[in-house]
Amino acid sequence: MAENILEKLKQTILDFDEDAALDAANEALAAGVDPVEAVGALADGLNELGDKFERMEVFLPEIMLASDAFKNALSVLEPEIKKRNTEGQKAIPVVIGTVQGDVHQVGKDMVATFLTTAGFDVHDLGVDVAPSRFLEEAKKLDAKIIAAASLMSTTRPVQKDLIDFLEAKGVRDNFIVLVGGGVVTQEWADQIKADGYGQDAIATVEIAKKLLHVA
Amino acid sequence: MNGKERLLAALRGGATDRMPVLSVCQYATYELMEKTGACWPEAHYDGEKMAALAAGGATVLHLDAVRVPYCQTVEAEIYGSKIKDGGKKQIPSIEKPALSVDDVPVIPENFTEKGRIPAVLDAIRRLKQDVGGETAVMGSIVGPFSVAANIIGVSALLKASLRKPEKLAPFFEAAEKTAEQYAEAVINAGADAIVIEDMMASLDMISPKAYRELAAPYEKQLISFINKRVPVIIHICGKLDQVILDVAATGADAISVESAVDVREAKRKFKENGISTPVFGAVHPISALLEGTEEDVAQGVKKSIADGVDAVSPDCAVAPDTPIKNIIAMVKTVEGL
Ligand code: B12
Repeated sequence: MAENILEKLKQTILDFDEDAALDAANEALAAGVDPVEAVGALADGLNELGDKFERMEVFLPEIMLASDAFKNALSVLEPEIKKRNTEGQKAIPVVIGTVQGDVHQVGKDMVATFLTTAGFDVHDLGVDVAPSRFLEEAKKLDAKIIAAASLMSTTRPVQKDLIDFLEAKGVRDNFIVLVGGGVVTQEWADQIKADGYGQDAIATVEIAKKLLHVA
Repeated sequence: MNGKERLLAALRGGATDRMPVLSVCQYATYELMEKTGACWPEAHYDGEKMAALAAGGATVLHLDAVRVPYCQTVEAEIYGSKIKDGGKKQIPSIEKPALSVDDVPVIPENFTEKGRIPAVLDAIRRLKQDVGGETAVMGSIVGPFSVAANIIGVSALLKASLRKPEKLAPFFEAAEKTAEQYAEAVINAGADAIVIEDMMASLDMISPKAYRELAAPYEKQLISFINKRVPVIIHICGKLDQVILDVAATGADAISVESAVDVREAKRKFKENGISTPVFGAVHPISALLEGTEEDVAQGVKKSIADGVDAVSPDCAVAPDTPIKNIIAMVKTVEGL
């Protein structure tokens, strides 16, 4: 039974079917399936689709709709997971944006939605965001995480500028800095001493939770 | 042969003294701005500055063609999308799309008198005067699929392309109609050729099926309108191998591709199908032109030629901080062969 439902959840992602994903998630909870396992099944689906995307068997619109389906299912599963973990914790504020000089938005938006769905209090600063603005907003919102996207080799150095800027202002240790986007790699993230790198939206949620020590 | 004769001959399938070399997409760089005294953002809005910067393509870079404008937001701005100015460093981009998928697009009246089109037309007239004797003058317009993306937003367009493609047709139709008007004005201003940039119609963004159903038909309609009068170069980004025959079927006089495309294989398929459309490309704008040495650029040029391109051009838009010595190296390598 549980096996079937997990298969079904995954399939709704492969079919990028938002409505079916929501139904399957509700069904899973009703049947007493562990919501963490349910999210795992959904993530499997998204990863499988991601591999097909790499091979140019599926394309970006499918990925975007599958992400929406994932988001839908999470919207019923996540509250359940939270309930089981800690009662009534305040959502952790995150600021996210694409760095100055870069207007690519699609991937950053996906990450923002995933973080929101995962229960973070996400403030999207949009694109072309200067280091000073990241800091200003992060301070204002008492954010724990600053997430910066860059899609081009020409704007990737701005992620380093951001970290240097935080360093210079003496506030580097107040924030967890996550970096990601097309040209960004784990090596680059290590090199500029970012706290974490997110290969994709799911990985970003995982790394954010890991760094904050929340489940 | 001068650059203009050379490029036009190549576009018409005629013989040339050597391979043409140009930048199908934008080639303005900070250094070129310094040398020509015409800078962004003014060169996006003012016809004289726009022309002065573009003319550097002939006088400084020695390309066979010059082109305007520098960004891909001219059409969408007239449809009401909010534009974010890029300042000195960046091209203008879309800040807020004008409409949502559920809206019905209305074709703006007197389209070619609005927004930055008069500046573009002015620039073309000036370029014609200043460098047009020797160098081909190209006007660049955005393909209907990409204009639609800039009117309703990329994400909305992509999702609708799968879920409710029928809702998109009015946007493509409107964008195609205004593209015809814009192209006609560009031709009347004296352009020798037109570049259609349809960067969102890339397989980086949509499936081959969506390309065939949602992008190609409008490209084809637009091209058949334009190339009764002047030749058309179509540029689509990304790895196009799966649709390269469909791109050829749009009737374009040349196809500009990125180095992600297997040019050899494309040429083989063309031959098999009796297609003679020239392929332009494919020097990598980042790894060769921006970050590479002159030697890397020369290698890129030679590889492209060995793969069978009919004219040498960067893959896509040149990054504005590209050293111009590398663009000149691209030209010199072609000249030296
Ligand atoms: C769409 C697109 C555009 C659109 C953007 C529209 C928009 N509103 O977003 C437009 C046409 C405006 C555009 C413009 C340009 N572009 Co562009 N563009 C692309 C394209 C085709 C797709 C990007 C995309 O959306 N990918 C899909 C998303 C889902 O993937 P993603 O962004 O990588 O996000 C995922 C991960 O990276 C991660 N992630 C993303 N953000 C974040 C953030 C954090 C914090 C974390 C942890 C993770 C994370 O999660 C996401 C989900 O899995 C890419 C090519 C490509 N295949 O990537 C080129 C590309 C990124 N562009 C490129 C270039 C050069 C440009 C221009 C300079 C071209 C020009 N001169 O006109 C301009 C620059 C404008 C500017 N100043 O920014 C180059 C960059 C080359 C390089 N190595 O530097 C690319 C790679 C194309 C190429 N092959 O040359 N572009």
